[in-house]
Amino acid sequence: MPFFIVFLLTPIGVAVALYRRNPRRFVDGPTEDEPLRLLRWAVSLLSPQRAEWGQAMLGELGHLDGRPQRMRFALGCTGAALIMPPWGRAAAVLWAAIGITAASLTIHAGMTVHYQLGVGDWIALVVVLLICAGYLLGASALLRRPGVALPGLLGGLFATVVGLGLSGFTAVDQVTFIPRPWQQWVTVIAVPAAIGAAGTLWRRDPAAGRRVARLAALSAGLLRLLYATVAAAILGGGGPPDQDGGFTVRGTVSDRLVSNIVDLVVSTFIIAMVGWAAAALAGYLVRRPPTPATPECETA
Amino acid sequence: MPRLGQRVPLDGKGYMSRVNVVQRNRPPSPQTVKVLRALAAEPARWRYGYDLGTEVDLKSGSLYPILVRLADRGLLETSWEPSADSRPPRHLYRLTGAGREFVAALTAARGERTAARPRRRVSEA
Repeated sequence: MPFFIVFLLTPIGVAVALYRRNPRRFVDGPTEDEPLRLLRWAVSLLSPQRAEWGQAMLGELGHLDGRPQRMRFALGCTGAALIMPPWGRAAAVLWAAIGITAASLTIHAGMTVHYQLGVGDWIALVVVLLICAGYLLGASALLRRPGVALPGLLGGLFATVVGLGLSGFTAVDQVTFIPRPWQQWVTVIAVPAAIGAAGTLWRRDPAAGRRVARLAALSAGLLRLLYATVAAAILGGGGPPDQDGGFTVRGTVSDRLVSNIVDLVVSTFIIAMVGWAAAALAGYLVRRPPTPATPECETA
Repeated sequence: MPRLGQRVPLDGKGYMSRVNVVQRNRPPSPQTVKVLRALAAEPARWRYGYDLGTEVDLKSGSLYPILVRLADRGLLETSWEPSADSRPPRHLYRLTGAGREFVAALTAARGERTAARPRRRVSEA
């Protein structure tokens, strides 16, 4: 049931929220072309000290004609904006995320070599590498938003600790855990919703809450991947599934590594989507109606 | 002038060695040199970013970080051109006095290096 809600109902909720935000866009299409939208997004990532340079890029784009030329210029500027210092504390957090990801991928690659896994497992390694690169890119953009890093990372840590608390912390727990229905409600609905709502309430801004939920999803995904990969390395070909028979060591290891990738994608998607919806809902609920102007004669 | 490695007082905030006092002076990259030379060709003229990038054959992703670094070092002066129509204002660039001196010093240093290492003729090899 919780999975049904997330995978079917949450996208509908997100579509409704997007429609409510700007109904004309669904009828008329986007009012700006892709290069301008891309560059606006990239410029919004720049630190306040570099805001003038962002306006310089936008000003230059405004004088370029021709879609390919504009797109090339916007892509280049986006790359520059993504890496342009100063990053402040976000740099330290990103380096920590890179370290966690590198550790996971190194262990994964080491197991692929050690157990002499097949071509499919090397493809899986490339897939997880690309997914992690996308996660780091997304995290780097979110980390540069003011006030998102700390609540986002705390949210990711919270989701990871709750997930491990329910499954158990040992390596065997990571491969044998089958959640009960109430545990599914906790991990799939309650925790992501709490993260999104807390992000909105923390920053008093639903947009910030949605970013907090996305950063929490990415950081929880990377933390869970490291934990699960270490567990798979500790167990090797051993552990409970081996007792069922019919599994080779290589098959068992391969199965666990691929399961980790699926879990990475699914858990990230769930936290991001449910957190997104909860942040938007919290913003709607706590939104204060504008105070009507009181005539002076009544206040006197 | 303190000797290399000598500890110097810092207004009651402890000591730091002269090694740390010396500012990092990394030589500019070939791309930065190209931008500097293009700007120095007509130092009084204000330039647009896109035109400058086209002239030195640099993509916007390389050009803007270079311009930012040059401006941070006080070598580049920036200004805004007011927009005449509905388009946004454009950013303009030209070298500062320090920038012109830097390019001149760069050219002189390159000339000295070339003079110090004359090419050997084939008959001498």
